[in-house]
Amino acid sequence: MCADARERPRGAHGRAPDVFRRGGWVPMREYDDRDAVDFAIVGTGAGGATLACRLAELGFRVVAFDAGAWWRPLEEFASDEEHQAKLYWTDDRLCDGADPVRLGSNNSGKAVGGSTVHFAMVSLRFRPEWFKARSQLGYGADWPLDWREMWRYYARVERALRIAGPVRYPWGPHRGRYPYRAHELNEAALVLARGAEALGIRWTPTPLATLSAPRGPAHPCVYRGFCVSGCATNAKQSALVTWIPRALAAGAEIRDLAMVGRVAVDGADRATGVEYLREGRWRFQRARNVVVAGYAVETPRLLLLSATGRHPQGLANSSGLLGRYFTVHANQAVWGTMDDEIRSYKGPPSLAITEHWNYADEGKDFFGGYCYMSQGPLPVVWAVTQGGRGLWGKPLRAEMQKYNHQAGLKIVGETLPQADNRVTLADTKDAYGLPVARVTHAYCDNDRRLIAHSMDFMSRALAAAGARDLWRETDDTCHMAGTARMGDDPHCSVVDADCRSWDIRNLWICDGSVFPTVGGVNPSLTIQALALRTADRIAALAGRGEL
Amino acid sequence: MSADTRYRGYDVLDKRDTPSWDAVTRAVIDERLTAADHLPQVATGAAWRVLRALCTCIVPQPADRPAVPLAALLDRRLAANRGDGFRDARLPPLREAWRIGLDALDAESRHGHGRGFADLDDEARIDLLHRVQHGACADPAWRGMPPALFFSHRVLPDLLSAYYAHPQAWSEIGFGGPANPRGYVRMVANRRDPWEPVEARPGEEARAYRENRRVR
Amino acid sequence: MGTHSGHGRLGAGVTAGVAGLALAAWLSGRRAARGTASTEPVRAARACHRSSALLAGSVLADSAMEHERGAYANPAMYVPPLMAALVLLAGAHGGGDARPQRHRVRHAVYGGAMATGVAGTGFHLYNILKRPGRWSWHNLFHAAPLGAPMALLLAGGLGLAAERVRHGRTRVPRLLGRPAGQALGLLVGAGLLGTTGEAALLHFRGAFQHRAMVLPVSLPPLAAAALLHAAVAPPTRRPLARWLLRLVRLLGWLGMAFHTRGIARRQGGWRNWSQNLFAGPPLPAPPSFSALAVAGLAALRLREKRA
Repeated sequence: MCADARERPRGAHGRAPDVFRRGGWVPMREYDDRDAVDFAIVGTGAGGATLACRLAELGFRVVAFDAGAWWRPLEEFASDEEHQAKLYWTDDRLCDGADPVRLGSNNSGKAVGGSTVHFAMVSLRFRPEWFKARSQLGYGADWPLDWREMWRYYARVERALRIAGPVRYPWGPHRGRYPYRAHELNEAALVLARGAEALGIRWTPTPLATLSAPRGPAHPCVYRGFCVSGCATNAKQSALVTWIPRALAAGAEIRDLAMVGRVAVDGADRATGVEYLREGRWRFQRARNVVVAGYAVETPRLLLLSATGRHPQGLANSSGLLGRYFTVHANQAVWGTMDDEIRSYKGPPSLAITEHWNYADEGKDFFGGYCYMSQGPLPVVWAVTQGGRGLWGKPLRAEMQKYNHQAGLKIVGETLPQADNRVTLADTKDAYGLPVARVTHAYCDNDRRLIAHSMDFMSRALAAAGARDLWRETDDTCHMAGTARMGDDPHCSVVDADCRSWDIRNLWICDGSVFPTVGGVNPSLTIQALALRTADRIAALAGRGEL
Repeated sequence: MSADTRYRGYDVLDKRDTPSWDAVTRAVIDERLTAADHLPQVATGAAWRVLRALCTCIVPQPADRPAVPLAALLDRRLAANRGDGFRDARLPPLREAWRIGLDALDAESRHGHGRGFADLDDEARIDLLHRVQHGACADPAWRGMPPALFFSHRVLPDLLSAYYAHPQAWSEIGFGGPANPRGYVRMVANRRDPWEPVEARPGEEARAYRENRRVR
Repeated sequence: MGTHSGHGRLGAGVTAGVAGLALAAWLSGRRAARGTASTEPVRAARACHRSSALLAGSVLADSAMEHERGAYANPAMYVPPLMAALVLLAGAHGGGDARPQRHRVRHAVYGGAMATGVAGTGFHLYNILKRPGRWSWHNLFHAAPLGAPMALLLAGGLGLAAERVRHGRTRVPRLLGRPAGQALGLLVGAGLLGTTGEAALLHFRGAFQHRAMVLPVSLPPLAAAALLHAAVAPPTRRPLARWLLRLVRLLGWLGMAFHTRGIARRQGGWRNWSQNLFAGPPLPAPPSFSALAVAGLAALRLREKRA
């Protein structure tokens, strides 16, 4: 095994780690700091890596930065929940508000590939109406995009990631066939299926970004169940093993262990490059365009940190909305004990899903929708969940003995965007000497009604599937969005439909921050679809000399 | 293995040299197993005694096997200052929260019982911890940190995640453990791969024990 | 309740299956015993025995492994590997038997295999229909495979055909009221199409991720079409059908080689056999094409001799 990837950068000296071979390397093109590259991209997750890949393939000169390390999954990802915390963003952040969120393992990655290295691989499309939530469904905000265009980009991402999904998807308009077939269901997923059938709603194997058949050098999934601790099989189609190798092959440079601390702008409101810390030294990369792709906390944080005399409220913030509308997914669950041995530690955690309440509008006393999925918590997550119920001592040990008999259903529930849920800068500083983010969050009444509806429904479904001793996990959230929302109007949004800042025209944002609303599905597929669209738009604008 | 498990005879470490464990996992777990020799670095002196007493309450361990060195596992984490990546703004950073919390537990105990927390009997300790959990204590030693929040956001997650990251805990609850390159092939209810533990149903303890000794 | 099995039994089951397949493979390649001048019906019958044995070897290996995976939860799950083993033995015996008479024990074994195949299809259908999703792609992919018991049915059918053909009282042997070559050609043609269906289903499940995965869904139907045509058209020489069937015979072994490599390609490769033999491409499946091709060639010979 090689030295720790966190000790010194691996993307250097004209080479980069080969994620498919133990100890292997691939060549990597490098750019000089003084050389104004076409695009400096901050962050290499679902947004940044996808965009870096496509821009490089379209012929642009691209350097992408990530604060995290560049791992080789086959030899460096242990089958261990605690050790794999090395993939999470564990730098301090402060959480407050009436319903403080949890970050870290939950939704924040710090590695080349970003949080796609430890995401749960759930790859869902938005319901078409959600792109016009305000005008068609009466809540939230409209996206400045047409769902039919997004449908085409979704299909492209699904092909690029060899999404394993059902032959026919039960909801929404027609979609082409998923490139790979759905995975075999584990028992936890069959519990969901039985509950859904008992209540007369549809369910399906979840479309997942993990291989159900070989793909080039990547092995298919072996159902080891450590997905959210990082996939040591390379079956997971993370940015680390998909977009990044493609980006390298197309001539992009990726700089790992490179923390960007400031985006520089000139007096003409043009971004000129990024300041970044690498190997203990602050450096400056010149660039003709800057893309910020740090996700919904780090993106506004970086733009707030980049405030200047001309932009005292942070870059791209003339609307005052940067950092506002921080929107999460509600992530509540109902758990129960089955007579059967379920052993949900086997297989990807969310093998079955129902999107019934995303597509059904009748019988709801709230705006928005939710899906729910089967679950497969490993022991540490499961024990902490028990702690969340307030269990400790002998009752805890007794409950943990039921580990192999537990089954649960958990929502990804849409919450409404609220201006007062926001990311700001705190007084505390991090190890780089930069103020940390403060994340303020509270549910609104509509969110609480959605949560109550979902938990009542899931309780019925779980009971119908044969579960006993039901209990509710009430306080979890997942995913983040909204802090640099896109729109048609510079006064009501941070970026336009091309994810381009209204204020600084060569500054782009490419991650979940641009979502005006979050829908009731996991965001990674939409982030990647947006990145593909942004790349095409950039090429079109460049072709017209409008960059 | 202790009597309060349904998986007597199963030891996940027996799989250490099978295809279920890879080199990186072996190295990580080997390192974790050295915690028993760890000397306290952050929770030292009186705080160490309080922490050890606290651990026996949060995760009581059976007497018929060597205990998981829970206090040492936590102290190692504190020494490395491994945070979660977020904290409730009402709580101080990781180490400080624990320093204050352990000190305050001791102070609450002296206040109420005239003895340190470590010198209380189990019943009194548990009673005191219930009061902390429900925020029903107000010794100045808390220094403004909400006791209930300390309990729900530091004590429980930190100690439970440390204990259930230990192989002995995996054996107790019948978790298959590390699984690379060999994952699983039998996914449906009541099926187990030969490298998974057997749960003892009533009346079948002896058979389950024998099977568990053979799990590789 | 957990399975009672350990690696020991797992290993034994797999070894038995693979040994059976090897034996069947050896039998299928064996020429007629020396020194006996067999008539064409007897030669054809012996080819059918070998074909049946090879198919049974495939079923033995496959069902022993898959039912092991299912922990033999239902005692009936022991029957298919057992019947397949008996068919294998019957085929070994019949393949070397030059007498123009039927053999009672073999005959009974083949009948039993067919009954097991029918019952197994019922069991597997029940397994599919009781799972959530019922009759769905997903259950066809992952529940009890419908095609597997049919292979045993087919092995029994080929064996019975062999007994009938060798037992011809007339100069031109007859089967099911038709000339034997025609009936056998129809049986094998249908079998080839059914097996193609199973390969198509499973290779679709594997998303045809490797180019070679289209071979077993394209070549065998061509061979089946040629064979069916030869069976119903006026008897004459059919070089195209013969060559196609020879290719299919080769394809079975080629497929096994591909599947061997497929297992090696998976995480952990062959060192991780206890997982990859189950989760990887099924090793014993492709030779069933070879088995059917052997019988198809025999049918073609009979047909060319106007039988």
